[in-house]
Amino acid sequence: MSPLLIALLGVLLVPLFVTTWRTTLFGLALQGFLMAWIAQRINPESASIGDWLTMLDLVVVRGLWAPIALYGALRAQQASERGDVIPPNLLSWTIALGMVLAAFSFADALDVGGGDDQQTLVAVATAAVLLGLLLLATQPGPFSQMVGAIRIENGIALFELGGDHHRQAIGIQIAQIVIVVVTISLFRWYLKALHTIPPAGPGPGQEQPTL
Amino acid sequence: MRPLALVVVPLLACLGLVLPVIRARVTVFLIGVAIVTSAVAALEAVVPFDQPLLDHLVRVDATSRLFLAVINPIFLGVSVYVWNRVATTPALRDGMVRFTGFALVFLAASNAVLIANHLMVVWIALEVTALTAAALIVRAGVRSSYQASLRYLLFSSVGLGFVLLGILCLTRGMEATGQTPAFFIDELPALAKGEAGPWRELGVALMILGLGTKLGLAPMYSWLPEAYDEAPPAVTALLAAVQFNCALVMLFRIVHVYRPGSEGLITGILVGLGIISMAISTVSIIATRNIKRLIAYASINHAGVIAIGLGVGKSASYGLMLYVISNAFIKAILFLTAGKIKAHYRTKDTRQISGLVKDLPYSGVFLMVGTFALLGFPPFGSFVGELLILSALVSSHQLLVFAAFCALITMSFVATGRTIFPMIWGQPREQNDWPRQTFLSAAPKIGFLVALLVLGIYIPPVINNLIQQVATSLEGR
Repeated sequence: MSPLLIALLGVLLVPLFVTTWRTTLFGLALQGFLMAWIAQRINPESASIGDWLTMLDLVVVRGLWAPIALYGALRAQQASERGDVIPPNLLSWTIALGMVLAAFSFADALDVGGGDDQQTLVAVATAAVLLGLLLLATQPGPFSQMVGAIRIENGIALFELGGDHHRQAIGIQIAQIVIVVVTISLFRWYLKALHTIPPAGPGPGQEQPTL
Repeated sequence: MRPLALVVVPLLACLGLVLPVIRARVTVFLIGVAIVTSAVAALEAVVPFDQPLLDHLVRVDATSRLFLAVINPIFLGVSVYVWNRVATTPALRDGMVRFTGFALVFLAASNAVLIANHLMVVWIALEVTALTAAALIVRAGVRSSYQASLRYLLFSSVGLGFVLLGILCLTRGMEATGQTPAFFIDELPALAKGEAGPWRELGVALMILGLGTKLGLAPMYSWLPEAYDEAPPAVTALLAAVQFNCALVMLFRIVHVYRPGSEGLITGILVGLGIISMAISTVSIIATRNIKRLIAYASINHAGVIAIGLGVGKSASYGLMLYVISNAFIKAILFLTAGKIKAHYRTKDTRQISGLVKDLPYSGVFLMVGTFALLGFPPFGSFVGELLILSALVSSHQLLVFAAFCALITMSFVATGRTIFPMIWGQPREQNDWPRQTFLSAAPKIGFLVALLVLGIYIPPVINNLIQQVATSLEGR
């Protein structure tokens, strides 16, 4: 499993240095697929409804729906090719790499149990959450912030795959998937709306009445 | 099955919105649903229904009963306010079906947070309140409201993500000690016995940080002033008085379960976040000239006071409960009043508003009384609450925190008064011939004001008993 986790770490890092929004979305898709592969390796005899729901969440929702939904919105507004996810300078890159090192140190310090694979999984999940927070903290643009939030959610989903594999009840799993779908749909809605509404709002005294 | 009505009735009502007869009288329909849920909540407070339901997923305890009896009447008051606004401003009728649909799902999810007996169900219900609130914050065609709504959703997602991460860390902690992970809230105290390992400590810390984000505590508070400012006043009141208390109830449950094993950690985080939040909000109160933002920063200040009271525990708990409940009614009064003021003056700039007592007498009086309660004047419950929290800080020898608390609360007191009092008692800038305010337009705020006075002067035994039970559960003895 470790090579897959290292590949996932690469997918988390590379889009930070390649400044196009298509690479960012391709990275999100790869995150979903790699996590599904990791889930399959952790539990090769996937047969229960819970296992299939996990695959649905990772492959269809995170791997396909999230990137395609955001891609459609950005393509429709003919967004310029460049789309920084962190400021393109040495300081940002150093902070990003420092966060990955910190994530591995954190996993070392915790009594993870379950061998090296579990420890690497905790480290990569922590790195995903920290890099997501870095995006949220450094980028004011709505797209970058959405990507930051989705990366954090992916990190949590990866962390959920580890441990002794106690699954949530089916109803709770379904509700979690629905929440991710609605959140991403709202992100798409905001991207579209913020593109169509002019920046200058109504002046004082011209606003429509509100409740 | 009675408690389930608190969730099922608003959801069924939401489905009922497809009927033309309901769509034609949607604001009255909203009031009707709110009356039903308020009546059920009141009945729960007086005649408790103790049986667990739905395989233990639902259980109504003292905390649920107390907060059901707070948030449902506040929702009713907001519904009456909305009805009056729509009746007097026909332009608002267009978006009412959409508003009512989201508001009903928001109410159902808020009630679900309070009655659920499973951490994951509580988490899911909180997520639903966040998603519906994000839609409610948006005002059609106003770009800044979309931006505020997006920021709110991002912070909510991250905050609740931390809560989920915390729950997963608790799972790891249980697995590490050979326990089978279970998240039924009434079973957690037994599972939390014994030494807290690193996973449990990490889980508790993440959950407090995540719920702190929902409460507007530093460091992740910046969504709050923007969302409270941009949302329609009725929605701001729901965020500040309903959703705030739902997140707080989840925090109460975590503190109740894990304080015995992680006392130092919980006290340290909550007191630290509380003091930082008070400091940040005090500086912001001094700087702002926007009435809604000023009340929003005061909300952050209050969240800081609540975090400190919760962190100290022990004898602060009863005062904390009085403070929390008073705070819900104060914020409902102030945000609805700010909405009324903005609707008349078409500005939120405090320097443009003067002489409210003469110009808009009802709003002037509500702003005055709400500000006095906000600042912790007697005879309001917030006064007694603050006093008990301060006394507990002294008796637990946290003198530095006591000194910082007093200094910050004094500064925010002066800054708030300096901005708001000229709005109330200054000379009106121009002679305006406003339409006369009706009693019905003031009725919700009068109701909240009565509740506020009751909390400060004479608390009915039923409510006092509930407050004491919740306070005892938070003392950590």
